[in-house]
Amino acid sequence: MSSIFVKAEPYFFLVPALAILLVFLIFPLFWNIYISFHDISLITILNEWEYIGWTNFIDLFNDPNFYTSLKITLMFVGGSVALQFGIGLLMSVLLHQQIRASGVLRAIFIIPWTISAVIAAFSFKFIFDDNFGILNYILNQLGLQSVGWLSDPNIVIWSLVIANVWYGAPFTILFLTAGLLSLNPTIYEAAVMDGATKLRSFRHITLPLLRPFIVINLVLITMWSVNFFDIQLVMTGGGPLFASTTASLYMYRQAFEFGLLSQGAVAGIILIVINLSVALIYLKFLRR
Amino acid sequence: MKISKKFTSTNSVLAILLSLSLALVIVITPAPIKAQQQQVTLTAIVAEPKERWDILFNNALQKLRQNHPDMDIQIDYRVLPYDATRTQILTALVGRTPIDLISVDQPWLGEFAEGGFLTDLTQYANTWGRESDWYPTNWDGGKYNNKVYGIWAWTDIRAMWYWKDLLNQAGVDPNSLKTWKGYIADAKPLNDALNKQGIQGMHLVGADHSPDMWYPYLWMLGGEILEQKSGHPTNGTYWFPAYNSTQGVRALEFIKQEIDAGIKPQTNHFWGQEFADKKFAVMLEGSWLLGTFPREQWSNFTQSVGMLPMFPVPNETDKTATMMGGWILSIPETSTNKDLSWELLTIMLEPDVLSPMLQREGYLPTQKPIGEGPYAAQLNTTIPYYKEMISMIPIGHSRPNIPEYPQIAENIKQAIDEVYLGVKEPKQALDDAAVNSAKVLGW
Repeated sequence: MSSIFVKAEPYFFLVPALAILLVFLIFPLFWNIYISFHDISLITILNEWEYIGWTNFIDLFNDPNFYTSLKITLMFVGGSVALQFGIGLLMSVLLHQQIRASGVLRAIFIIPWTISAVIAAFSFKFIFDDNFGILNYILNQLGLQSVGWLSDPNIVIWSLVIANVWYGAPFTILFLTAGLLSLNPTIYEAAVMDGATKLRSFRHITLPLLRPFIVINLVLITMWSVNFFDIQLVMTGGGPLFASTTASLYMYRQAFEFGLLSQGAVAGIILIVINLSVALIYLKFLRR
Repeated sequence: MKISKKFTSTNSVLAILLSLSLALVIVITPAPIKAQQQQVTLTAIVAEPKERWDILFNNALQKLRQNHPDMDIQIDYRVLPYDATRTQILTALVGRTPIDLISVDQPWLGEFAEGGFLTDLTQYANTWGRESDWYPTNWDGGKYNNKVYGIWAWTDIRAMWYWKDLLNQAGVDPNSLKTWKGYIADAKPLNDALNKQGIQGMHLVGADHSPDMWYPYLWMLGGEILEQKSGHPTNGTYWFPAYNSTQGVRALEFIKQEIDAGIKPQTNHFWGQEFADKKFAVMLEGSWLLGTFPREQWSNFTQSVGMLPMFPVPNETDKTATMMGGWILSIPETSTNKDLSWELLTIMLEPDVLSPMLQREGYLPTQKPIGEGPYAAQLNTTIPYYKEMISMIPIGHSRPNIPEYPQIAENIKQAIDEVYLGVKEPKQALDDAAVNSAKVLGW
């Protein structure tokens, strides 16, 4: 009897964590799947929910705006992750050098990440305003033409990427700095004695040792960028002509602006699949 | 032993004295009146700006308390930004949160009523007997499927506002703004004269509500957003998109002409503040624009700002049109104090309670006793261009209050954006949008 208890003991300790996982993650996930197979909108939510099979999925895949939103997501996430990671890695390596006041600089660089995304979005909305924004004012002062930062469908997504990178890069700086601080400095001393330049040390020592941090960072910032919609919602509302409607914003608008809760749930499931795929690809890369 | 006895007797005396004093206090002190009153807290969710609700609720609450001396009535009201109001109200009602009063924007009514979130007020309204006091369009705006779900409390109209000095500077006669041809022709001289000062000649809405500023052109030409059509697969006769009619195409062609004349659509909208800040010389905007000017400037307002009670018309002899908005007061199905909420609602709509708020905020009445009665003279002296604004109510139209309207407005917005960006011609853009709207409507 006591041996059974000893064997089961670790599982008892897992109960609180599992309960939280079940209530806050597993249940909503299955609830979302349940909703996606029914016809639920704000108009019908108080009535009996009709089971309609795959209809919501078929409707979603027949909606050209959904495909546009996937394309926009790819651009938004690709641009955001590449720039966020590139800038973050560069800044964390620079701040890791023997620079005076690097601690203060690190604290300053973290500031954007500490403020609300909505506030950041409003700030950038006014910076990028076509007529009264500071950016076009500077361009005009330099004798250049105004740019439709938020009104040109070919440009708008990159304006959002800039705002997202400004907001998100500090996390990468913070995360990779923690990784750099965990590296053993004697390895670098040995490399210097062997005649390695700083660039070669970075390529052959820093990058391979940082790999677990880099992969986890990439997983996180990719998923966040896929799910993020605060900046798009505040700065453009998805326009013009869906040119800034990412899949997450598409989901939000279906569910909460148009009241089509089942359609929103289906879009949510697609987002989960995208996130899981991204995570699997990165983790495969980590195991290599 | 002696000490102990003395101690006990002293304690007994003290205990008796204390008990007597306590009994005396209980007998003499009258029970507080509050303890006998029934505590009631009415809850409300309403849309910004807050000041109007502060005035209304404070005045109405005093009267409500006078009517119910047996009750201790409080009002707990949350004022939300416009963009968040619809979602927040719906989320609360879906979660069965007891709310006693909400402000409903006119096109939301169908969605809220169809979802079963609103109390049917038809019986209450019949007993109240004030229907004939309302302008018919405004009374009907509170109805859905022939049932009363809310009372349209106040309205607003859209009109043309211009800075007199800026038009003078550009040598533009305000009367020329009245026709489509004149309006387009004035764009260039205004921009040429004012752009160097960082001022745009004319404003054109490029934000989410751009359809609202296109509808008046559609209506003045005799067009409609939707029309009833038979043969619907499930509803028999139901709504069908009509905005892609020849009138709709002509109306959108006028917008295209504006773009071609160099008028830039504004994706950010500040609800008249951009006009008050003199960033635009001419702006088609709602009557709430007055509220963006400080009250102390209202007395001299007409000297600096001109107002034409119209949207530009194709020809001078044509009749103009405008769009009416405003707020409907409704009682959610989840209210636990429906009778009291209705009483509060009706008090808020009494002319002597509502008029001071309208006077202060510059809104327009939906009821004749305020619009035409003795209160009108008072409002006319306080609110600049009040008479002109009231004159627009008969030509005011409202948006369809059916549940599918948000998606239909989105389709129309897409068509307007396509014309703004030169992606499609007006007819093609409207036809494509109408196909999507027909699908949304279940055709």
